[in-house]
Amino acid sequence: MAGFLSTLRRIYLSLYNWTVFVGWFQVLYFAVKALREGGPTTVYGFVERPLQLAQTAAVMEILHGLVGLVRSPVSATLPQIGSRLFLTWGILWSFPETRAHILVSSLVISWSITEIIRYSFFGMKEAFGFAPSWLLWLRYSTFLILYPTGITSEVGLLYVALPYIKASEKYCIRMPNKWNFSFDYFSASILALAIYIPGSPHMYQYMLGQRRKALSKSKTA
Amino acid sequence: MKVTVVSRSGREVIKGGIELHDEATVSDLQEAIHARTKKYYPSRQRLTLPMQAGIQGKPIVLSPKKKLVDYCDGNVKNLTVVFKDLGVQVLYRTLFFWEYLGPLVIYPIFYYFPVYKYFGYEGERVVYPVQTYAMYYWCLHYSKRIMETFFVHRFSHATSPLSNVFRNCAYYWTFGAYIAYYVNHPMYTPVNDLQMKIGFGFGLICQVSNFYCHILLRNLRNPNGNGGYQIPHGFLFNIVTCANYTTEIYQWLGFNIATQTIAGYVFLVVAALIMTNWALAKHRRLKKLFDGKEGRPRYPRRWVILPPFI
Repeated sequence: MAGFLSTLRRIYLSLYNWTVFVGWFQVLYFAVKALREGGPTTVYGFVERPLQLAQTAAVMEILHGLVGLVRSPVSATLPQIGSRLFLTWGILWSFPETRAHILVSSLVISWSITEIIRYSFFGMKEAFGFAPSWLLWLRYSTFLILYPTGITSEVGLLYVALPYIKASEKYCIRMPNKWNFSFDYFSASILALAIYIPGSPHMYQYMLGQRRKALSKSKTA
Repeated sequence: MKVTVVSRSGREVIKGGIELHDEATVSDLQEAIHARTKKYYPSRQRLTLPMQAGIQGKPIVLSPKKKLVDYCDGNVKNLTVVFKDLGVQVLYRTLFFWEYLGPLVIYPIFYYFPVYKYFGYEGERVVYPVQTYAMYYWCLHYSKRIMETFFVHRFSHATSPLSNVFRNCAYYWTFGAYIAYYVNHPMYTPVNDLQMKIGFGFGLICQVSNFYCHILLRNLRNPNGNGGYQIPHGFLFNIVTCANYTTEIYQWLGFNIATQTIAGYVFLVVAALIMTNWALAKHRRLKKLFDGKEGRPRYPRRWVILPPFI
């Protein structure tokens, strides 16, 4: 029974990782296509559908962590997925005025390359039991460049969106109401921006630590 | 006897070890380590017996009151202990004082001072009776907590890491401000009179019950602090292990029924989750300790924290 369940787990996770891999591969493919055909302002239009699908599917990973299907701590995945969903739906989809910005290109390329490497890495491990050492190296090295470029794009786009957020009443809840509650999307966005200040070095340090552990382990193995 | 003090990585923390007389207690050892290292006062030290290679489980922590010989397995002339630095420590009293002082001071600021003009709300605000009662209720609650910290609670482990001061103050002070902002808001919508009375009435009954629970818990602990666990009993403890948390949660429910803010309910849920975590651990610990074997009483069947749910 235990063997059956663990095989089921492997099949499910292999399917999951490879499916999402294909999604992100499409994002990168269409992004490059857009850059060659229409230029940076057209990138969003080309990538919107696969981006939304692939990024939203990542919500499953929180579930995977919670039920113990994977080892990753929820505390590490939650902020990452949170910021991705915020950018994808809360900024780009909600405020079309931001879509033509050059940072959309850098964002989408940083995210897609990172995720292509990450999902194929996990896909290999689940399906075949191992991942080639060059893939391991890529997974724990490309972040050195892609984290700064990705985070800069996220923060930049958030900042660019601020005046549009302020002007619109989107997602805002105003008082008075019988539950004495309010929500100001502009303030929440400022708060999100503020969280990047301690959050980014924390994530970068975490990955540096993971890199040290993963690459030294493979040397001694 | 000679005590060798090593770190978890095996390195000698005290070169050459420490010589102590055979009847020495763990506390004496801690004093000696403090004397040799200056930096590591006793409450910062966590001393454990070395783990046997390959054997799982938690390391045995040395209890300050016990004698060192109690931890020697045959060889009474030599003992090796593993040292861990717990970091800068503060008294629990200090920690609680600062975390409770925040809400006590911050909430009335939103009630008494014209802070809302900085949020863009000009002009006079109408203050409803429920908002005044809420402020009194809130301040009563946190004053009670501070008073209990100094006069009622008996702490088993007297200190807590300094980092907890920042973490806990952030939690209490932020939620305090968040709730105070909404209850005292110029556009606050009060509930009806009956609901307010039921809320505050129920809340006050629970606060008094909570105080009584704390008195009972205090009397469980021996004044000369041998810190041994006892089966809690009396009043609500007969049916629920952590009756003190139960009454605390219901007391906040009373406050929220009377004031009706999402902010207050969010705080209630978060606090209940935190306390439930603590309660589960305590209940488990008590069941494990009072297993009915070797003359020990068996822990009775009880709710953990929130009948009829858990």
